Amino acid sequence: MDNEGRRRFLGICLGALATAGAAAAAWPVLRFLSPRAGAGSAAKVTIPEKELPEGEAKFFEFAGASAVLIRKRDGEVAAYSAVCTHLGCIVQWQKDRQEFLCPCHAGRFSSAGEVLGGPPPKPLVRLPFTVAGGNITVG
Amino acid sequence: MSMLDRVIDWLDVRIGVRELAKEWGSGYLLPRNINFWYSMGSILLFIFLLQVVTGILLLIHYVPDSEKAFASVAVIMNDVPYGWLIRMIHAVGSNMMVAIALLHMFSVLFMGSYKAPREINWLSGFLLLNLILALCLTGYLLPWSQLSFWATTVATNSAGAIPYVGPTLVEFLRGGKLVGPPTLGRFFALHVALLPALVVVLVGIHFFFLERIGISTPPFGHQGKKTPWRGDAFRYDAHPGGIPFIPNYLLQDLTSIAIYLAVFLSVVFFDPYLFFPKEAFVPANPYLTPAHIKPEWYFLPNYQMLKIFSNEFVGIAAQGIAMTLLALLPFLDRGKERHPLKRPLFLACSIGGILLWLGLMIWGHFS
Ligand code: FES
Repeated sequence: MDNEGRRRFLGICLGALATAGAAAAAWPVLRFLSPRAGAGSAAKVTIPEKELPEGEAKFFEFAGASAVLIRKRDGEVAAYSAVCTHLGCIVQWQKDRQEFLCPCHAGRFSSAGEVLGGPPPKPLVRLPFTVAGGNITVG
Repeated sequence: MSMLDRVIDWLDVRIGVRELAKEWGSGYLLPRNINFWYSMGSILLFIFLLQVVTGILLLIHYVPDSEKAFASVAVIMNDVPYGWLIRMIHAVGSNMMVAIALLHMFSVLFMGSYKAPREINWLSGFLLLNLILALCLTGYLLPWSQLSFWATTVATNSAGAIPYVGPTLVEFLRGGKLVGPPTLGRFFALHVALLPALVVVLVGIHFFFLERIGISTPPFGHQGKKTPWRGDAFRYDAHPGGIPFIPNYLLQDLTSIAIYLAVFLSVVFFDPYLFFPKEAFVPANPYLTPAHIKPEWYFLPNYQMLKIFSNEFVGIAAQGIAMTLLALLPFLDRGKERHPLKRPLFLACSIGGILLWLGLMIWGHFS
């Protein structure tokens, strides 16, 4: 190998080594800084059925974000993420109209989570839940 | 023309970076016989940067509240990903910083680099050493363990031996009669804000003096020249025909840092609790003093001195005198000779002093 090529090769090796070193140092820092998944909230939330009368909504924390359970007038239960699909505000439950209103830009969602009006582009995200033994378990 | 060249050109027209790079880099010549010991300062700078970075990271998860501090440190150690790594680098790094600062000082001592006209360099370095020790002391309290609590109690208590103002001073340091939540508040503020800022300022001053007067020629090895300092006017200590800082000495600095990292990381990874006695793992309890509470290794000589002298004031005064002598060394030792072997009295005194210090440390450790 000629001298020039040797230098180039060593230069590339040094560069690769430096990159590997920098990555090895950056990885722990990145992990240290990144929010921990599910920190501070359980993966499942259980709410007694009696806390949710007909036509009412119950807001709670689920997987680090806001979620809401509603029981419609016909007794059917639904669970949604309470985060508006427009810019992320938390929706409010309007009991008299039986629909969600987002206070930020007046987005409206039906009790089925569908967009009724305003800027939100998508329906509210549905959350899986089960009802058993007088308890509603979300997650 | 490459992008980099264009950027450099742009900057060059505006602030003359090429001239600056020449002046501070390849044009900054060091004595030909400069040695490994001169890179201790670069290692120290590197450690300080590491302490700042890890310190800022720790601030994210640490809670400076006496009720929550210990638990938050436990969370950092056990739950936060790589929290143990960040904390260990910070804690072991502080010990290493003291050790390297001492090596830096000893090398300056034995090579006589503190002598005229470099007295201010020495003084600023002396202040930096004290700031490092103050950072160690204030940082020690923050995890709020039994060790932190009682070590701080003992350390602040020793200020009480000063006549007249002692008791008031102790109370002022603690922010109350005893070490407690107010102590944590003020030590936290000192540790994360005031002291690091002072270190940055003093490091700037230290470098300014170094750059202004020029690096001193080591007294041994290849003898390039003799520059007698006459003391009538300022003279920059140039080293014509010396080795350029960039790239030659920069490589030495990087090598030294790599060697340091190898030693440091082997402690962090293989014996991280080297500097942690078991009291460090028990939450602080103001009603229960652990038996045999001892300070960190670098405060052991001071601790032992206080134990030797039955009168606390004498113990404190002895330490004060020792530190004052150290600070004023360049004003006391005014001989021109810098070769350690040609200064037998100095050599005997300094080796004696270091042995005494080490002896007190070992005695303190086993007592
Ligand atoms: S964020 Fe909900 S409507 Fe804009």
